[in-house]
Amino acid sequence: MNTLYRDIVLDHHRAPRRHGALAAPSHACDGVNALCGDSLRLELRVEHGRIVDYRFRGECCAITTATASLLGERVQGLAVESIAPLQQAFAELIAGGAADPALGDLAALAELARYPARRKCALLPWAALSGALAGADRTTTEKDAS
Amino acid sequence: MNAAFDPLRYRADFPLLARKVHGKPLIYFDNANTAQKPQTVIDAVDGYYRDYAANVARAVHTLGEQATAAYEGARDKLAAFLNAGGRDQLVLTSGTTQAINLVAYSYALPRLQPGDEILVTQMEHHANIVPWQLVAARTGATVKAAPIDADGVLLLDRFEAMLTPRVRLAGVAHVSNVIGTVNPVAEIARLCRARGIPLLVDGSQACPHQRVDVQAIGCDFYAMTGHKLFGPTGTGALWARREHLQAMPPFFGGGEMIRTVSFDGTVFADPPHKFEAGTPNIAGFIGLGAAIDYVQRVGLERIQAYEAELLAYATAALQSVPGLRLFGRAPHKAAVLSFLIEGVHAHDVATLLDHEGVAVRSGHHCAHPLMQFFGVPATARASLSFYNTREEVDAFVRALDKVRRLLA
Repeated sequence: MNTLYRDIVLDHHRAPRRHGALAAPSHACDGVNALCGDSLRLELRVEHGRIVDYRFRGECCAITTATASLLGERVQGLAVESIAPLQQAFAELIAGGAADPALGDLAALAELARYPARRKCALLPWAALSGALAGADRTTTEKDAS
Repeated sequence: MNAAFDPLRYRADFPLLARKVHGKPLIYFDNANTAQKPQTVIDAVDGYYRDYAANVARAVHTLGEQATAAYEGARDKLAAFLNAGGRDQLVLTSGTTQAINLVAYSYALPRLQPGDEILVTQMEHHANIVPWQLVAARTGATVKAAPIDADGVLLLDRFEAMLTPRVRLAGVAHVSNVIGTVNPVAEIARLCRARGIPLLVDGSQACPHQRVDVQAIGCDFYAMTGHKLFGPTGTGALWARREHLQAMPPFFGGGEMIRTVSFDGTVFADPPHKFEAGTPNIAGFIGLGAAIDYVQRVGLERIQAYEAELLAYATAALQSVPGLRLFGRAPHKAAVLSFLIEGVHAHDVATLLDHEGVAVRSGHHCAHPLMQFFGVPATARASLSFYNTREEVDAFVRALDKVRRLLA
């Protein structure tokens, strides 16, 4: 029906991976797009500079949920300092740039280049991830007033 | 179905309705957001720029005379359309928002005292909430909202009970932009008038769907917008009782709103020009005049009757979609259908429908308090017009079923 909602995106929307809460997170951040009505909580366990566990939960659209699920799969086990370049690569991808192989399955969201109004949905889990690592309690990807 | 009303006959007048989106015929169900324009409106705007573009009310040359006649002619058409009583009672604005802000700053602000109240309803658009909050914050007044029931109907007895002597002004939507509820504005005006409380009616969503007679309503102020009435964006009006416009100070100062200017003192023009500083949206209002001619030819009574039938048809069709929740079931409502499908976010609905050629709005519809009342952050909204058809409703419902099977 739609190349944005590809099978892998639908699969991660219907059966999100790493969904839920951590018993003892070392880092956590709420990503809230109040105008959209997307709200997720992202929790991390960071040990020795690596993300050793990742969980998210919340009420989100399919794009946000699938991105949060794909993101957890991708960053599990990664060094904290590798997140920023990966986030940059994702932002470039959905703005119409080339797919960095480092993004893995997250490249399934490349079609967002044709849906500018929905980019903030996919960026929300990323903002929550980088926000958590930076010690922020809450973040948003909504800038536009309405 | 209204045998006399053939929407296909009118669709041909709207060039944009022939386009495709993602390879599918466009089904434009976002009319409450903005309406499409008939060729006559496009031609009127084009004709001004091609043939007689000039400023109004200043130039004595031929072009200036023609532009002024066309622009002021549009005011006359709008005045007749609303049964304004007099053309001097119609201030041309950029839209409803500017019209309400004019009342907030020029009428309400100088009158409000600490402890005073402005009464609105739970279903208002932000344009009929935020201007009041801004002037309330500057004066120590407060904004209160009268409640609605689960169907989205204003609780009139509660509204009446809230019309205390503290209330200095009331503001009510004629038709809700989110759930289509048509409020009994004449009855509300009677309640307000009996207590000496001025009433502003936000007519943004009413003018495209039914005949509006501001004198019959009996309100003090009526705000409307042109772009939802098939006219250009950046057009609208404030109708007000003559005594209010005479008493209100100007809001914007500049050219065209004065009689004489000197550093010893300036004499303002009479209403409505007192409130129309600067060069107005001349082309836009000439286009709005053409839009009014157009809907008058189609006939507002016929539009209203056809849209009521289309709404009943669409409501029944939507109820066949499993897991679909409709918001707003007022017995008297315009052809606006807000909904959610269980387990599917409104934005996913809108994106997937767009891929099927169906344009709907998703989000909070500039009505956060109403979303809070329903306990949801967002809804999807299909808003219909007289150029929409049953076949489009059928295609829309088929597309919704696809969305549901894909995501729910």
